[in-house]
Amino acid sequence: MDDQPVMLFRDVTKVYPLPAGDVTALDRISFQVDRGEFISVMGPSGSGKSTLLNMMGCLDVPTSGDIYISGTRIGDMSDVDLTTLRRDRIGFIFQYFNLFPLLNIIENVTFPLMLKTGKGVDPERGKEVLRAVQLDEKLFTHTPTELSGGQQQRVAIARALINNPDILLCDEPTGNLDSKTGAGIMDLMTDLNREGTTIIMVTHDPHIAEYSRRTIRIADGRIVE
Amino acid sequence: MIFWEIAKRNIRLHFLRSTLAMLGIVIGVVAIASMGILGNSLVATVSDSLSSVGDSVIVTPYTGGGGGFGGGGGSSANLKITDQQFQQIKRAVAPSVAIPVLSTSERMKVGVGGDDIVAAVYGIDPQYVPDLDLKFSSGGLNNGNSGCMVGSEFAKDNNIKVGSRISMGTDGSKGTLRVTGIIEERGMSFDISTDNAILVTESWFDNTYSRSDYDEVVVKVKSGQDTAEVKKIIEKQLNKRDKIVSVMDSKATLATIYETFGAVTTFVTAIGGISMVVAGVSIFNIMMMSVNERIKEIGIMRSIGTQKKEVMKMFIYEAAIIGVIGSVIGGILSLIAGYAISALMLQSTKYLFTVATAISVGEGVGFGIVICLACGLYPAWQAANLNPIDALRHE
Repeated sequence: MDDQPVMLFRDVTKVYPLPAGDVTALDRISFQVDRGEFISVMGPSGSGKSTLLNMMGCLDVPTSGDIYISGTRIGDMSDVDLTTLRRDRIGFIFQYFNLFPLLNIIENVTFPLMLKTGKGVDPERGKEVLRAVQLDEKLFTHTPTELSGGQQQRVAIARALINNPDILLCDEPTGNLDSKTGAGIMDLMTDLNREGTTIIMVTHDPHIAEYSRRTIRIADGRIVE
Repeated sequence: MIFWEIAKRNIRLHFLRSTLAMLGIVIGVVAIASMGILGNSLVATVSDSLSSVGDSVIVTPYTGGGGGFGGGGGSSANLKITDQQFQQIKRAVAPSVAIPVLSTSERMKVGVGGDDIVAAVYGIDPQYVPDLDLKFSSGGLNNGNSGCMVGSEFAKDNNIKVGSRISMGTDGSKGTLRVTGIIEERGMSFDISTDNAILVTESWFDNTYSRSDYDEVVVKVKSGQDTAEVKKIIEKQLNKRDKIVSVMDSKATLATIYETFGAVTTFVTAIGGISMVVAGVSIFNIMMMSVNERIKEIGIMRSIGTQKKEVMKMFIYEAAIIGVIGSVIGGILSLIAGYAISALMLQSTKYLFTVATAISVGEGVGFGIVICLACGLYPAWQAANLNPIDALRHE
C-alpha cells in the first residue's frame, strides 16, 4: 500500500449545471500526491480551489474522471462509505478552526475517534495528540471559546490527527491568525510533515505556501503549473 | 455516546426555551391523563352506586308522551297500575318475580318533639323483601302492620335506631310506626330508592291511604332470562291497543349510562389532546430552531466523518429528552391533578389508585413521548440531509 499515491486525480472534471448554463469548475485535472509530501494549492478566488478542496476531502464527487484515495476509487461510493472514508483517512483543518462549542478540548479532539470506535472519550489518546501539537496541559478541560485562535487551531490539528489519517487537508489554516501565531502553526505542520504526515494545504498566501515543498497552481479550473 | 452528551448540553444551553417546550408537554400530558382519571373515577363512582340494581325491569304507568293532558298533578293521580294489570304482568314474566310497589310521600315526625319532615313512603308486601335484595344493617324484617323499615341515610339524618317511633301524617294523624330494621345503603337505583325512605307493609299502606292500585311494578329477572326479552313480553301483553305502561330495562339503561360516560371521557380527553398537539408544534419549532442554529456545526460534523444517522440521532435524543422529562413530570402532576379533581368533584379519592388510573397516566405519558419524537423527526431528518459543503459554508 505504501507504494500507492495517497491521492490520485485522473482527468477530474466537475460541472455545475445552472439555469444560466453549465459552469465547469474543474477541467480535466490530473495530479498525484505521494506519501509524505507537503503540497500547497494556490489560485485566485473563483479558480476552482474550493471545488478541488471538496473533491480532495471526499465531500463531493467528480462529474467525470477518477479520484483515488490510497488506491480506493471514490467515484461511485455511497454517502455512508464516503463519510467513513473522511473519518478514517482524511484530517480536516479549517480556516475558522471549527471546534464544537458544546464540547471541551479533550472531547473535541477525540470526537472523530469516538465516531470510529462508537465508544466514549478516550482521554489518554486525546492528551497524547494534544501534547504532540504542543498545547498547554492546563487547557485540556477548557471549552474552545476560552482559547486563543492559535490554541484553537492546535486543537483542530490534534482533532484532525487523532485517527491517524493518510492526508491532512488544510483550508487556509492561518487565514484567521496573526502572522506570528500563523508562523507557529506552520512550524508545527512542518514538524508533523517531517515526522511523516502527508499535508495538502489550500492557500492564497504566498508566504504560507513557502512552507510547502511543492505548489500546485490552478486558474480557471485547470492546473497551470 | 457523545451525541447523547451533545443533545443534553444543547438543552442545558437553551434552558429557557427547552423548559418552555417541556412545559407545553407537561400541560398536554396533564390535560389528557387527568381527564382520563376523572372519567374513570366518575364511571367507577356511578357504577359503585348502581351495582345493587341487578337485573330488573321497572314497569310504571305511561305518563303520555309530553304535552297534552298527561301532565299535571291532577291527572297523574289516576295513573296507576291496577291489580288486574299486575296479575297480567306476573303471569307474563314468570318465573321472574313481579313485585308490586306503592309509593307516596308523607309528612312525619320522629320521636317526641322532633321536627316535621317529609319523606318517601313505600308500601311493599314483606314477602318480597328478599327478592328486592334488601339487607339490614340492624334489626330485621317487619311483619306486623305497625312496623316499618327505614333507609340508612334517613336513619342517620334523623338519629333513628331499631325501636324508634315515627308519627305519620300531620300531628300523627295517620298513626305511629315502630322501626324494626334499618336497611343498608343501596345507592341510586332504578327500582326503589330506600336510602332516604321508609318502607311499610302493603296492608298498612292500603288501610292508611285507601288505595290498592300500584305505582310501579318491579320485575326481578331470574338468571337465564334476558331483561330485554322480559321488557318485550310485558310491552306485548299490556300495550296491546293503547300504551298503558312504560317499561324500563335496567341493564340497557345502565349500558346507555356507561356509554354516555365513555363518550364524555373520550371527548374531554380529546380536548386535552389538542393541548398536546399545540405542545408538539412548539417542540417542532424549537427543534427547527436548534437545527438552523447549528447548520455550520452539522457541516463540520459531517465533513469530519459523522454519518447522517448519527446527526439524526443527536437531534432525536434532544427531542426525546424534552419529551421524556416533560411527559414524566406531566404524569406525576396529573396524578396530583386527578387527586384534586376527584376530591373536589366527587368528594372521594378512593377510585384514584386503580389500574384504570395507571392506564390513563400511561397513555398520557406515552402520547407525550410519541408526539415529541414525531415532532423531532422531521427537523432531525432535515439536519442529517443537509449538504455538508453548503452547511460548512453557512455563517
